[in-house]
Amino acid sequence: MATTACFIIVSRNDIPIYEAEVGSATKREDAAQLHQFILHAALDIVQDLAWTTSAMFLKAIDRFNDLVVSVYVTAGHTRLMLLHDSRNDDGIKSFFQEVHELYIKILLNPLYLPGSRITSSQFDTKVRALARKYL
Amino acid sequence: MANFLAQFHTIKNSSDHLVIAVEDVSDLWPIVKSEFEGRLPFKRASLNNKTRNSVSVENLTAEFILTTDSRLRSRFPLEQSLFWFREPYATVVLVTCEDLDEFRTILKPRLKLIVQNDEREWFIVFVSKAPPNNDQATKLAKKVYAKLEVEFSSKKRERCCKLDIQSPEANFWEDLESKIMESIRNTLDRRVQFYEDEIRKLSEQRLMPVWNFCNFFILKESLAFMFEMAHLFEDALREYDELELCYLETVNMTGKLRDFGGVDRGDDQAALLNPGSKPLTQIVQDDSFREFEFRQYLFSCQSKLLFKLKRAFEVASRGYSFIISFSKALALRESILPFCMREVWVITACLALINATASQYNDGPPDIEKEFYRLQGDLYSLCRVKFMRLAYLVGFGAEIERSPVNSALLSMLPWPKPAVWPLVPPDASSEVLVKEKIILQETPRVKHLGIQRKPLPLEPSLLLREANRRRASLSAGNMVEMFEGRPIFNDGSGSDASTKMSPSQKVRASSMSRTNSSPGGFESSIDRPMRLAEIYVAAEHALQHTISNTDLWKSLSSLEEYEKKYLELTKGAADNYHHSWWKRHGVVLDGEIAAVCFKHGNFDLAAKSYEKVCALYAGEGWQDLLAEVLPSLAECQKILNDQAGYLSSCVRLLSLDKGLFLTKEREAFQSEVLRLAHSEMKDPVPLDVSSLITFSGNPGPPLELCDGDPGTLSVTIWSGFPDDITLDSLSLTLMATYNGDEGVKALRCPSAIVLKPGRNIITLPLPPQKPGSYVLGVLTGQIGHLRFRSHSFSKGGPADSDDFMIYEKPTRPILKVFKPRALVDLTAAISSALLINEPQWVGIIVRPIDYSLKGAILHIDTGPGLKIEESHVIEMQSYVDLSQIAADMAKSDAAQKEGSLAVDKNFEQLRLHAGRIEFPNWANNVTSILWIPIRAISDGLARGSSSVSPLRQSIVDGMRTIALKLEFGVSHNQIFERTLAVHFTDPFQVSTRIADKCNDGTLLLQVMLQSEVKATLTINDAWLDLQDGFVHTTKGDGRPTSGFFPLVISPHSRAAILFSICLEMLNAEDEAKALRPESILNIKYGISGDRTTGAHPPVAVESPGPEGARQDLIFRSSLVLQRPVLDPCLAVGFLPLPSGGLRVGQLVSMEWRIERLKDFEENEVSKHNNEVLYEVGANSDNWMLAGRKRGHVSLSTKQGSRIVISILCMPLVAGYVRPPQLGLPEVDETNISCNPAGPHLVCVLPPALSSSFCIPA
Repeated sequence: MATTACFIIVSRNDIPIYEAEVGSATKREDAAQLHQFILHAALDIVQDLAWTTSAMFLKAIDRFNDLVVSVYVTAGHTRLMLLHDSRNDDGIKSFFQEVHELYIKILLNPLYLPGSRITSSQFDTKVRALARKYL
Repeated sequence: MANFLAQFHTIKNSSDHLVIAVEDVSDLWPIVKSEFEGRLPFKRASLNNKTRNSVSVENLTAEFILTTDSRLRSRFPLEQSLFWFREPYATVVLVTCEDLDEFRTILKPRLKLIVQNDEREWFIVFVSKAPPNNDQATKLAKKVYAKLEVEFSSKKRERCCKLDIQSPEANFWEDLESKIMESIRNTLDRRVQFYEDEIRKLSEQRLMPVWNFCNFFILKESLAFMFEMAHLFEDALREYDELELCYLETVNMTGKLRDFGGVDRGDDQAALLNPGSKPLTQIVQDDSFREFEFRQYLFSCQSKLLFKLKRAFEVASRGYSFIISFSKALALRESILPFCMREVWVITACLALINATASQYNDGPPDIEKEFYRLQGDLYSLCRVKFMRLAYLVGFGAEIERSPVNSALLSMLPWPKPAVWPLVPPDASSEVLVKEKIILQETPRVKHLGIQRKPLPLEPSLLLREANRRRASLSAGNMVEMFEGRPIFNDGSGSDASTKMSPSQKVRASSMSRTNSSPGGFESSIDRPMRLAEIYVAAEHALQHTISNTDLWKSLSSLEEYEKKYLELTKGAADNYHHSWWKRHGVVLDGEIAAVCFKHGNFDLAAKSYEKVCALYAGEGWQDLLAEVLPSLAECQKILNDQAGYLSSCVRLLSLDKGLFLTKEREAFQSEVLRLAHSEMKDPVPLDVSSLITFSGNPGPPLELCDGDPGTLSVTIWSGFPDDITLDSLSLTLMATYNGDEGVKALRCPSAIVLKPGRNIITLPLPPQKPGSYVLGVLTGQIGHLRFRSHSFSKGGPADSDDFMIYEKPTRPILKVFKPRALVDLTAAISSALLINEPQWVGIIVRPIDYSLKGAILHIDTGPGLKIEESHVIEMQSYVDLSQIAADMAKSDAAQKEGSLAVDKNFEQLRLHAGRIEFPNWANNVTSILWIPIRAISDGLARGSSSVSPLRQSIVDGMRTIALKLEFGVSHNQIFERTLAVHFTDPFQVSTRIADKCNDGTLLLQVMLQSEVKATLTINDAWLDLQDGFVHTTKGDGRPTSGFFPLVISPHSRAAILFSICLEMLNAEDEAKALRPESILNIKYGISGDRTTGAHPPVAVESPGPEGARQDLIFRSSLVLQRPVLDPCLAVGFLPLPSGGLRVGQLVSMEWRIERLKDFEENEVSKHNNEVLYEVGANSDNWMLAGRKRGHVSLSTKQGSRIVISILCMPLVAGYVRPPQLGLPEVDETNISCNPAGPHLVCVLPPALSSSFCIPA
């Protein structure tokens, strides 16, 4: 499992709708902000890259010192972004695909307003489990 | 071969173009030199590249050099082959000859000698000096040239051309150029082939121990250089690329440990764009080159070629990755390189690359341009990070803004790892003191608005610990333990300990430092940990050693210079990112510029930049990041006295996620808002608090109101304030959904409200609204002088309202006001007539239509001829519509029948107070009936009529009205008015006729009684009081036999009573009395009827007694009996009409004949006994009359006198119409005998068809 990993789902309006620190390392107090900052800046790159390929998984698009940003763009242009320090491309891809399925299930919920924050604790649990499994 | 390196280097530096040798056989060069050289550089040339494809190059530079020139002579053969690239690429042989013999004997052998060398590409230029007018000479020259061609040109290749000096041929120069090009091309091909073969040979030996990279390099670069000279830059670049790959392979080969380089003075300045910075001979090492210099050299060669290819973008992109990879290589050797060499190199490399590419870059396609600017931004950004790192090391750390971007960049970047951390120089104690002083004087930067969040770290780990660890590793003990024991270093804040110490700890630290800085302390410094100030000073000194660039050193030497440079780099990065549309990167750096502006008091600029950053983060909802910047913006606005902005910033701070700030901080924000709100503001500031105060209607169906009704509206308001907040006023607008312009109504809360944090429910009075459905619009209110408004609906909770605002929310109507409709109905309970002149119950059905009649008041106003029996109570009872029940019963099952019929009957007696009745409560929602005792008053006596001319009583006579006005509704705002008509009538209608006239003069008078009411009438007695002139035949009162009575008459049926009367002989005095002009019919009757259907027994003032005590009613009706007239005295006859019939629009003469039947003796007409008044009457719709309609005609009083009255008439309508009639007003009708006796009709035909109406005359 990766020591540092920050997973964020960004809605099509660039709003983070789900955040989770899924690394095994003890969390630095300020890490959340720095991770958010890095991921937010990576949106600039995603906006360029997303349209150059038809694949959903964009692989590692940005590097920040030792950390790598991997991105998965859904058809609805929701971006699943992972900041990580591991090099397990296949695992990350599987992680993204499964989270995408979870996200679709959330979308199917008629009470969920697309683009709003995902507050389902079940979703959170499952994402963390997936992170343990794949990252 | 490596020994040739120096020579190769000089050759390469001295020649940078192709050489064309000129073999001047006939000393012609001085004559043609200028013209030949005028052709240089060649504008277009077609050459073959390495893959033998034709490439067109432009502006190919070359030089003509005589073969006798020293540069082309005295070369060793080995040299020639090795540095073949500098040898001539073509040989031009210049000859002239004017004599065939001379050619044959001298020139030809000489030329043969020259051209026998196959290595050379040659061709002959024959220069003819013959003047054009000299035919002889010209011919000769031609002959010689022909000979020359025969000798030297072959079919395959033309090797001769002729230049006429006196009159050059037009295409000579083109011919010459093509020939030169051909030669160059051939030579180039051959040489490329040669070099390739050589290189291949060498490559095959690569893995052998004898292999020498330098040799390979010389060959490879020679080839590259040749390509470069031939302007085949692409090929040259490819050679360099291959060279680089090959070099990296050799360098990374294990087992060969080589000197890295980079330790010379000036190496810190990147030479990645300057190939000539160091001669290659200096960097050669054994059989290869030093990596540090050589990689930069290769890159500089590549970039030079790329610039020549006008691909500045590629230089930037290759350069960026080169810097990154080279920086990694430097990191591996950090321990052997000077202190911070890597950082300094990256800074200089970035700056050099930025400057070079920016100046060389020309407009490219948009995509490339975007990328280029992005790269520039990246370079600036990289440079900026390294620069900040250096600045931190020399002690400017406190000046670096602890923003997310800086923190992210610096705190994840490891410290430099020199083998040993630099030591404080022995003579620097004064500098240490100065630094120490600065550190002590430094006040920890206070966050704005009292936010107590820990500042973000700028360092990957504590510098103090890191530096000492690197020192301590040399000494015996590990000094780190000493610091570990002190809790203050473990707070993880990352900020330097001394800047954040509490005062007591500060004292400790400083006292400790004082003991340590005692004289002689420095000698033993290796044994004791360095203090921060010492680390700074040591780093500064070490850097001074490392940095050779004076500009860079200057930037680090003072705070001002540092800031200048910092700003320059940050601006550069921000601008370029903006150009590349990487707005997030750009805007974030704008925020850094803002921080500097803020520090320098340039709050205006700072606020603008901060606003951009905040807008970015807020727009994209990254609240954690927003929480970092927003306080700074607020502070700027506060200083700038931008109250509106400051307030809105405070509101935004409050509306951020609750977890981002402590409750105490949030309370501070609120108190800021309140403080401003209650302070004297110049002008009241409007404030949008949509994110903070949200509102929605209560769940459930909307409030429904009828038109005109007021109500109260209950609204849920969420307050995001951390504390209770008092709103001085609050109002909400209602927006009609059907029409936005018109329907905006503000509802004001009557008093000040205190909003608790979280959910509040307030109720607002709602004045009557227009019909329609309404949604909540805007919430406005006032806190002190502050007017705020909120547009935001919240769905379920207040927290993440921001997310929901993005979507168009379906607005839920909160209020529905119905269109005006009938809320109540008042109808009369009966439709048939009531008895006139008797107290009767009139029933009024009050039917509320889905509306409560609570507290309703009914005003009753009776019209003329009607009065309420006030002595009697009014009855009210619940009303069940029988027909409705019947319908229901038909539908419902038998089992349900009983239940549905069980309507609880309410009954109540009410009193009228000043014409008003108040409704009881039970009548709120049920249909009820109100029984009001009234009496219609009619003074006239009923009149009977004869059956011959029946008198129809007008229905209006019995009509009375009751004006009702019902006030109801919540505040008696609803008014329902209705005027009910109630019909009253006599019980009977009486008509008479003479049934028979007996011979004895007895007349049988039949009195017919028609029942007018829907009630059973019982006639108990009837008698006739006859008028004068008539008497009953039987001596009595003319009562019929009592055995007939009681006579029961069913509703609307008839009965008749016969009276036998006879004429009474009148005498004169009787006649004069004329006491009773009419007879009176008296009927004593009873009535039994239901008040719900119509007439009924009169309302008893007392309670109705038993059946027997029922009083009889008397009905009186007057009858007029006329004595019969036996003979009429005048006869009026309507004369027949013309046989042709009547037509519309045709004049016709109507004629009547009047004849006197007997002598006129009556004295009443004696005044004008020989004149008769006539009158013609006609319906003016049907007839137009011409002539006198009314007038006197003379008619003799003698019996049999006659006269004809005629009048012109025109019928106006077709059909059967009543003709005009002649009347004699002065003569009693009984004295006139008419023919025809009654009204009759005549036929009028439609007008004859005529076209004259259509055609204008």
